Amino acid sequence: MISSITNITLAALCFFYTTADFDITKLVQKRMQKEITKVFLCNDFNLENISGSPGFQFKNSTYLMDHQIYAINKGDELLGYAFLGTAPSKTDTFEYLILFDQNFIQKKAKVMVYREDYGGEISSKRWLSQFQNSSLGERFIYGDNISAISGATISVKSMTNSINYVYSQLQRQLAVVSR
Amino acid sequence: MISLSAQAQNVSDSLSIYKDQNLLQINGYQRILQNLEAVPNGMTFGGYAEVLYNQPEAANGEIDVQRLILLFGYKFDDRTQFVTEVEFEHVKEVYIEQAFVNYAVNNSLNVRAGLMLVPMGIINEYHEPTTFNGVERPSIDNKLVPTTWREIGIGLSGRSDALSLRYQAYIFNGFLSHNGTDGLIKGSNGLRSGRQKGAESVFRTPNLSMKLDFYGINGLRLGLSGYFGKTQADDQIYDTYGSTVGLSMLGLDARYNFRRFTARGQYITSSINDADQYNQLTGKDLGSSMSGYYTEAAYNLLPIIKKQRLFVFVRYENFDTHATVPSNIPRKAAFHRKEITTGLSYHLAPGAVFKVDYQNKSTGLAGSDNGQINAGVGVWF
Repeated sequence: MISSITNITLAALCFFYTTADFDITKLVQKRMQKEITKVFLCNDFNLENISGSPGFQFKNSTYLMDHQIYAINKGDELLGYAFLGTAPSKTDTFEYLILFDQNFIQKKAKVMVYREDYGGEISSKRWLSQFQNSSLGERFIYGDNISAISGATISVKSMTNSINYVYSQLQRQLAVVSR
Repeated sequence: MISLSAQAQNVSDSLSIYKDQNLLQINGYQRILQNLEAVPNGMTFGGYAEVLYNQPEAANGEIDVQRLILLFGYKFDDRTQFVTEVEFEHVKEVYIEQAFVNYAVNNSLNVRAGLMLVPMGIINEYHEPTTFNGVERPSIDNKLVPTTWREIGIGLSGRSDALSLRYQAYIFNGFLSHNGTDGLIKGSNGLRSGRQKGAESVFRTPNLSMKLDFYGINGLRLGLSGYFGKTQADDQIYDTYGSTVGLSMLGLDARYNFRRFTARGQYITSSINDADQYNQLTGKDLGSSMSGYYTEAAYNLLPIIKKQRLFVFVRYENFDTHATVPSNIPRKAAFHRKEITTGLSYHLAPGAVFKVDYQNKSTGLAGSDNGQINAGVGVWF
């Protein structure tokens, strides 16, 4: 009994040691590249960080604690945009990715890193698909056109509010630029 | 709590921006997040509390700070967190409700160890007062599922985003059925008095606890819980036949939201082996099985776009801690309870609720009907 506990403990320690080397920035970038490849069916794209350039100069907020916007290019062709946002969960933050086509129609939303246990249900592909194919003029209302997830209310509201804020900011900024 | 996000955050910029965000709704969690953005460490602080008034018919009322829980967390790095909840019950009793380390191996797998909640049904895990209707927690979550049920253990938790599935599996220390002098578990409240709560617990036989939650249908969440094992007994009596019992508990739960309508239900059944030997040794009246259910429907009277919510609800409970009994004790009709609870939950803001309800409680005994009015305030931040 004692020796089997010792063996399990040693195996667990080895396991933790091998997974301890961890860089979340690299992880997010890697996951973003993978999603773009999958959604745009393209391997040879490059990403141009356009955060802060005309049309994309909006500030963070309560529900958007940090953000980056990238143009996804293949040679001279613009494929679309990738938006990386940080939003609050109950006691932590999470990173999400929104992929838009070149006309800012949403192709996919995905939670890239969710840190705490509570509220992780918002990473469900099924729940996130409710935002798919939406345009910047659309607004989402928790419990109305966005369904609730029992036990994940705070994160569901946070994600919904975050996307509403991003859409409204992008819509306003892009309208100013196109004028 | 503190953002260790992929992109480094400009703290002073963020704070000045927050001051301009008066138009955005903000709840307590976000407020804490904002405040702690400026604190250069990984501390989390939060909590929940219930101050309740119970007024039975023809008896004195009781006013009580039923529980005040202070949550502290510390994030060592993006993968490693410690969470603890310190509980004050009735002002003067202190407990530790949770104290565990969570290590996130990846997005879908966590290893956790320490004092943790046993995942069984809805309320044991989601028991903060703003998450359920009714001043009091459902009674089945007191007598059949002994909330707040927590023991020391180790296990895995995680989720599959593709399947919309959350899983939990733990090895826990089990209930204490005999302390060397007396039997602790009994017919009226089942296993409740056998909880060890992580306090100098007796450990001999590990117990297995599992739960699966499926949330792949919009608005619906389904849970399947299982708990299997054997109780513990003090060293001096462990070898005596009947000092421990075998236990299997199964739970099914469902929660549903559609616009302003919500509903939930839960079914729990448990089977206890060797209850006859246990009763013979201890003189107790432990049943050989316990089962029951509750079902609840609620409707938000306020428009969906309002921050405040006013739910009117009705809940029906039917459970029996003497569903079956061993041959050496009589089945007690008083242990078959039926309760109807109806009332209002007025959510003033996300995280703060006023509650009032009326309960009609009866048992299998004729003329056992009793009414009770309850009121209370609850907060969670």
